[in-house]
Amino acid sequence: MDNFKFEVVFPALILGRFLLALAPLPDSLKHDHQLTSPLTAYPRLQEGLYLFSQGIDPYSGGIFRHSPLYLAIFSTAIPLTKLTTAFLWTASDAVSAWALVRIWRARQRLSSSSRDALIATLYLINPYTFLPTLALSSSTFENTLLLLSVMFASEGQTSPSLLALAFLSQLSLHGMLLLVPVLLLLITDPISHLAAPRPFSASFKTLAFPAGEFFVYFSVLTFVSTLVCGSWAWVEQSWGAMVLLPDLTPNVGLWWYFFTEMFDHFRPFFLMVFSVHLLIYVLPLCIKFQHDMLYVVFLMAGVLATFKPYPTLSDPGLFLSMISLFPETYPHLRHPLVTALLHLHSALLLPLFHHLWLSQGTGNANFFYASTLVFGMSNGAALLDSVWSGLRVAVGRVPDGLEVVQE
Amino acid sequence: MHAIRQRIRNVLRGNGDRNATRLQRRRALGTLIWSRLPELRLLLLLVGFAWILLIPSPLLGQSTFIDENALHPGQVNTYWNWGDVHQADLYLAQLEQLRDQNATSKQIAAHVSEEFRKLGIPSATQDYVYQTSQESYNGTNAYAVFSSPRGSGAEATLISAPWLSHTEDALNLRGVATVLALAAFLKGYSLWAKDFIFVISSGQLDGMQAFITTYYGEEPSNLIAEPLTLPSGVIWVALNIDYPGHSFSHLGIFFEGINGRLPNQDLHNSVQLISRHTGGVPVVLYDHLDPRDQPWREAELSIIPSWVPASLKKMSFVQEYAYRAKNLVRHVGYQARGKASGVHGLLHRFRIDAITLYAVPATGPHGFHAIGRIMESSLRTINNLLERLHASFFFYLLVNATTFLKIGFFLPAAIILSVAMMFSGLYEWINAAWYKTVVPRSEEKTETTELTWVERPRPVLDALLVIGATHTAGVGLFYFITLPAVVVNHRIISPVLFIISLLLPLAALPLFKQTSPGASPLWQVLKAFNLCLASTVVSVTCVLNFSLACTTAATLSIPLIFSSPSTSLPLKVVKYAFYMLLGFGWMVFATEEVRSAIWHWELMGIWFAPFICIVYTPLVLQAALVSILPL
Repeated sequence: MDNFKFEVVFPALILGRFLLALAPLPDSLKHDHQLTSPLTAYPRLQEGLYLFSQGIDPYSGGIFRHSPLYLAIFSTAIPLTKLTTAFLWTASDAVSAWALVRIWRARQRLSSSSRDALIATLYLINPYTFLPTLALSSSTFENTLLLLSVMFASEGQTSPSLLALAFLSQLSLHGMLLLVPVLLLLITDPISHLAAPRPFSASFKTLAFPAGEFFVYFSVLTFVSTLVCGSWAWVEQSWGAMVLLPDLTPNVGLWWYFFTEMFDHFRPFFLMVFSVHLLIYVLPLCIKFQHDMLYVVFLMAGVLATFKPYPTLSDPGLFLSMISLFPETYPHLRHPLVTALLHLHSALLLPLFHHLWLSQGTGNANFFYASTLVFGMSNGAALLDSVWSGLRVAVGRVPDGLEVVQE
Repeated sequence: MHAIRQRIRNVLRGNGDRNATRLQRRRALGTLIWSRLPELRLLLLLVGFAWILLIPSPLLGQSTFIDENALHPGQVNTYWNWGDVHQADLYLAQLEQLRDQNATSKQIAAHVSEEFRKLGIPSATQDYVYQTSQESYNGTNAYAVFSSPRGSGAEATLISAPWLSHTEDALNLRGVATVLALAAFLKGYSLWAKDFIFVISSGQLDGMQAFITTYYGEEPSNLIAEPLTLPSGVIWVALNIDYPGHSFSHLGIFFEGINGRLPNQDLHNSVQLISRHTGGVPVVLYDHLDPRDQPWREAELSIIPSWVPASLKKMSFVQEYAYRAKNLVRHVGYQARGKASGVHGLLHRFRIDAITLYAVPATGPHGFHAIGRIMESSLRTINNLLERLHASFFFYLLVNATTFLKIGFFLPAAIILSVAMMFSGLYEWINAAWYKTVVPRSEEKTETTELTWVERPRPVLDALLVIGATHTAGVGLFYFITLPAVVVNHRIISPVLFIISLLLPLAALPLFKQTSPGASPLWQVLKAFNLCLASTVVSVTCVLNFSLACTTAATLSIPLIFSSPSTSLPLKVVKYAFYMLLGFGWMVFATEEVRSAIWHWELMGIWFAPFICIVYTPLVLQAALVSILPL
């Protein structure tokens, strides 16, 4: 791969992806439970836009859960047609891949490297990211905004980074979880310090201004959303859904089945537990990896991909593609082949058990749930191994016969 | 008490440092597994194959039972009587006349449709043309829809008889006559809660395929079929009658659907019970009569080879084993190739639980009277359903008409072989990273040298590219052999294609020469990935189509596990030839099978042909490459 020039590979792949997006694809793709979630599905977006254009509140029915920002953009500036959607979604992936390459360059302090082509390719041909794009899932945009925010943060551009993060948090509330690592990344540097950990040196006082800036952006966007919608109804339907889980349409995550089986009087408690569970990762990761905030962002992407309420395949896709940014950890991975095989198994089992349950009728919901558990395991294995190897880089190569123990 | 606890703790943790004991224990366990892995692998292979051989044994299996409480099979009085048998005889006489006149499919359909109309049941015909690369099929189906007197028409039961019998080259005249007489009979009762759809399909499979795909609006692009004019509801259950002979002695049940889907076992169990108790007809699987019931036909029916000593042959264990094995082999023959064992199998795709009732031809004693009663009682049972059949098993192996194996008793056979492959793959993966070498001890500057393990990088990307290339070549191969021009000239092109496939990997061999110095050889990583991939394919296919997974595991496990390169040229050639024959031999040695698989793919979308080309052959090709790559 090193032999290929980034300048050739990148446009060629994007062209290929664009043609693929234009190809006549089965409509069922857009309804697929693995590629879209109730919060990101394209048919729901179309439904919301139609209701909006007819003067009906799109948030009144429980179908439309996208942010009002989508309504604002797609009902005025960009009408959704076959051509524009293909262009928009492919462009979004192209920007993501480009951002990933820029993050890599910032981390290496290089203006270009032989690894650029590989990194872009791994994002653009990763089936977990490009299948949701073909299904026109809006999770593609969320990935792009996350990568843009991290890219600007790595390059030290505070305002664009915070703006991108504010947009991301508008579209998906879980973007907020990245606020702390992104802010810390802004006041430190993206260069790899995994091999030589050091205490956090920057002054926390400098955080106050960027944090305030973020909340200004966020509030303005919230206000704009309310203006677009005409009321606050969208908050409960769109953000509320990420906490209250009103729609139990099957997806690749771990929440839906758990809550279909739950007695109603336990629901609030477990909703709280599941939501707080996502929160508790932020600080420990930031403390343990205080020397390398980019790595924290990467690990948080993995946490969200595994434990988010409404994930699509693009969330684990983003996490797995980001692994390409940290080649220094590869020699310290404990079980890369096992993780890869787990992912291979779950990538085959998910569509298969989905088919057995909903098309062929010989299986039932438990089959698909079992495959989402395998998928959860494979994401968990990748995440754990990343944490392990990220910490082990600092120890370096252990001589034969010795072992490292953490007390 | 405290002392005991302390002692247990000492045994578990040892007296030294806690972490040290933990690490020592972990190392000891790791070393144990690692050093025993080759033996473990052999053991797994042995257990896996033994399990496969154990499946037909009378030691396994349990009696079938009805799981859905609503069914109540055989609990009703039947009213089908000799008057209805006479009616069926009259229909038969008309049909025999049509046969003697060499009537076309269109004439037959018109006649049948007219007979339905005379009964006051709305009926119509459907012309269709199928275009496959080998030939085109055309025909005319006749169908009629009897609206239920008691239901909303949201659900329906399908009763069908194809014009051609499935098993022999005979016409299914009595089956068609039964359906017509049944239509006349069923109309006289007001207790039906579901519509009846009667279908007399033309040809063997093509007619029903045209009908059912049109019914569900999923016509394939190579089918031109008239739209259906009579609507009805969702079909839950279907019974297909195949009655080619004059009379019958047993009722045979065929149940395999396309792509390995099986109907809910409750349907089979109900019909089996009804046939035995209401119809008085013994039930067998397929047309396999039990040699123990027909001692005078033992030579013809039994599959025990003649060289087995007579004393063994007479043992009940051996006889039961042989009978079950015969049924299972037939089952695997259908399921592994994804073939439907009758017209019913085409319906499975649409979540219709369907079986074929086959009247095993004999000189007696049963005829229209028995089959009519069985059908009537079965339809009453189906009529009781409030939801789709779901309670009983979808994953099972029927070893005879009343005995079956649950999934837990047969799945391990394939899974254990798959685990053996997975372990070998992981073993090879670890092996590739280390090599033993002589490291001179520079500090001491003496002659003594020592063998030590040194870690080396593995060419992961190269191996992945090879795997990707072989599977892409498989896609190309599949595309090529399904081209109409190639299918027609199959006999000439196959040997040429085989020789090209034989030479192409050899021609590509120089590409693999350049591995970076110090890295592990490509073959080792390729073999590791090959085994892991094969294992994954087997364990994932298991739940979809056990027969296919098990056959693949049994075929691939030993050749793939023991693939290795060699230094001597003759050995290399022999190994390569073996793998190429295993992977590509079907092109020249099973031309009829290839033709049939392609036909099934084109007509019914059965994915056996693509599976072989895109999954199986590339896996073997990877093993072939392992055997010729530089050591």
